[in-house]
Amino acid sequence: MDAELIEWREDFRIGLPGVDQEHRDLIDSINRLHRELVVGASTARVTGALGDIHAAISSHFALEEKDMQALRYAEFDAHKGEHERLLDEILDILDDVTVTGRYDPQVLSSRLAEWFTGHFRTFDARLHRWLMERQ
Amino acid sequence: MSLRRLLRAPFDGLDRFCARVFPPEWNPMAQLGAIGWFLFWIVTVSGIYLYVFFDTGVAGTWRSIEAITHDQWWAGGVMRSLHRYASDAMVVMVLVHLLREWAMDRMRGNHWFAWATGVPLILFIYVCGITGYWLVWDMRAQYVAVASTQLLDALPIFGEPIERNFLDHASVSDRFFTLMVYLHIAAPLLMLLFMWIHIARHARAKVAPARGLGAVILLTLAALSLAWPALSEPPADLDRVPETVPLDWFYLAAYPVMGQRGAAAVWLGIAGLFALLWLLPWIPPRPTPAAAKVDLENCNGCARCFADCPFGAISLAPRSDGRSYEQEAVVHPEQCMACGICVGACPTATPMRSAEEFVAGIELPDRLLAPLRREVQGAVAGLAGKDRVLLFACDHGARGDAGGNTASITLPCVGMLPPPFIDWILSRGLADGVMLAGCAPGDCHFRLGDRFTRERIAGLRDPWLRERVPRERVGLSWAARGDRAQREADLAAFRARLPALPPMVRGEKRARAPAPPFARRAWPKPLQWGAWVAVFGALAFGTGALAGWPSLRLLQSGEAVISLSLRHAAHTKVACKPLTPEDLMKLKPNMRRQVGCPRERWPVYLELLRNGELLYRGEHQPAGLWNDGPSTTLERIVVPAGPQSLTVRLRDSGRDQGFDYERRIEADLDPAQNLVIEFRGGQWNLAP
Repeated sequence: MDAELIEWREDFRIGLPGVDQEHRDLIDSINRLHRELVVGASTARVTGALGDIHAAISSHFALEEKDMQALRYAEFDAHKGEHERLLDEILDILDDVTVTGRYDPQVLSSRLAEWFTGHFRTFDARLHRWLMERQ
Repeated sequence: MSLRRLLRAPFDGLDRFCARVFPPEWNPMAQLGAIGWFLFWIVTVSGIYLYVFFDTGVAGTWRSIEAITHDQWWAGGVMRSLHRYASDAMVVMVLVHLLREWAMDRMRGNHWFAWATGVPLILFIYVCGITGYWLVWDMRAQYVAVASTQLLDALPIFGEPIERNFLDHASVSDRFFTLMVYLHIAAPLLMLLFMWIHIARHARAKVAPARGLGAVILLTLAALSLAWPALSEPPADLDRVPETVPLDWFYLAAYPVMGQRGAAAVWLGIAGLFALLWLLPWIPPRPTPAAAKVDLENCNGCARCFADCPFGAISLAPRSDGRSYEQEAVVHPEQCMACGICVGACPTATPMRSAEEFVAGIELPDRLLAPLRREVQGAVAGLAGKDRVLLFACDHGARGDAGGNTASITLPCVGMLPPPFIDWILSRGLADGVMLAGCAPGDCHFRLGDRFTRERIAGLRDPWLRERVPRERVGLSWAARGDRAQREADLAAFRARLPALPPMVRGEKRARAPAPPFARRAWPKPLQWGAWVAVFGALAFGTGALAGWPSLRLLQSGEAVISLSLRHAAHTKVACKPLTPEDLMKLKPNMRRQVGCPRERWPVYLELLRNGELLYRGEHQPAGLWNDGPSTTLERIVVPAGPQSLTVRLRDSGRDQGFDYERRIEADLDPAQNLVIEFRGGQWNLAP
């Protein structure tokens, strides 16, 4: 079996149990989609899976934003802005598949991986550091 | 209920009028409760000012108020008038507010709480108003005092008539008066508590009107106060009866009814009215539609539904299903109005989800989202061209002829529509424009649906409508139920602008600014200003006029009053007698005594004759559970003024014939004189 598209790493951990669990679940969802893409899933299946990822990430961001606000996270506005941008982007990815009716598995997989891990490497990492310093 | 429909028509008309005349944020119909709060504070502040200069003794009261009114007319005088007129305006506000909530059917189901806690406020307002008139201690206050005590004496509360406190000038005590002052302060404090309870179940309760509207109300009341200052009648004089009193019909309208029909009728009326008001939410009973339901599988406790519930019906509780989240949303069904605004807030409520029967974290069982998605797909099927509109209308705002090429779907509230539905409809090309049509601005049937919808679309409130959604393809129409014209105009304008819009480009970023608003169907400016002047002028004139006109005539000219008062313990029915040993044995040891005295007394029979003609007669039972107290009464008898010979007599010994006490009085009564004839302490007393 191929390596997973996105590997969970311990340094992804933020320190908020619910948020961390959702990160793992999202990685699972994206990896599952990746496996389906590789074997040529139908576009309907792909758009459905992307829609589910959109729903899951929306509620994930909502939870993370609630926690950030409760903790009075200093960079909340920037982080929230990034969330909104990412939500726009996943819908754009979804639209591309819907409207064209086809997809390139490699392009789509790498786009999804970048979409997801880019946020991890930057904004979530910053939040993690801030939480650590706070403790 | 047909009565409700009947009520609804004038309010629909009024809403339409207000929409044409007031800017949306000034619409008084949408903030009656907030206006009530504002008036309450005007009354409070002016009341505190008056209290500083107010003399709480009987002798000084009237003089101190005269000084406030005239010596500092520019401050105290205005404050006094504001105090009165704002109180009167509060009665008007409460009446309109009550009728409107009734007409809009906002008291049944789970709405009952605000209704049932609002009804006692009426009582408090009246206690405040009536005690307030009392405190001025002028001739009107005297009438209010006597009539109020007569009203209270009709209830079996007080052993002796408290009206006796206002028998003649000597009987009014400073202490009774101090009690009134305390009542007049305690009642509004209690009222404030109930006002708070009244809105306790409302998140973000509106307790202040729009500033501009508040300023206009205050200025109107101030202008009324200067033009038509509240003045006192001549000082109270219990040795006289006022021939006429100017009545504040907002507060004292029940008093003339008492004069005509008696105190019992008034109490029956009050009791009936309050019972009816209290029961209204349940006649006929109507259960609120099924409360929102949380699906824990889809809920991570993000709190968005909790933040958006206008009725505080959602709370956050510790997680109950063992998942790693801290919290979960919990709906309190007894507070839920089933508006669906929480559904619109839920981040999982997106139609892009794959499952045919997807479920969001919170949903209305009667209006599930998966069927709504199918309904949308079905509704747009018949549309064609470049101006296809999908209209989401709420159940409570204006309806209208949607016109061609428009499919419409109704929701309990537009706030129920999750923004991703709009994104989905437009990005999939299911329609060229989505229009959300709700109640008049600031007047959402469910309080906050219009505001939250606007904020979500403008990216000011979660969940944001995605930035990529072209706002000019999202129409927002806010119009009251009675305002079909506005709704139809909004729809037509929206449909007309769609064909000219550039095609949607995927990935294009756009300003998140809300779409351009539709033109408000307002009257021309000069007409609007004219209408404001007319409305506030009419309200001010009506308030000023009814605060003292028409006067109530209590006596015809040339009439006087005889107040016949009795407080006398009659003889006991059975004389004391020594107890026999047998009698003693029947008694408990601690009750045994030499002489037995049964305590029951005879009733007192009282008569008044004028020039030999019987004017009054009555038998008065002794007070007390054992009929062992004094017999009391206070009768007010109107007689022609002038010289007359009066005879008062009574018997208190159970005899059939003759009288135990009798007195002849030669009196020359002045018009409006109050002659007090009192039998007390075994003798007749006259005053003045």
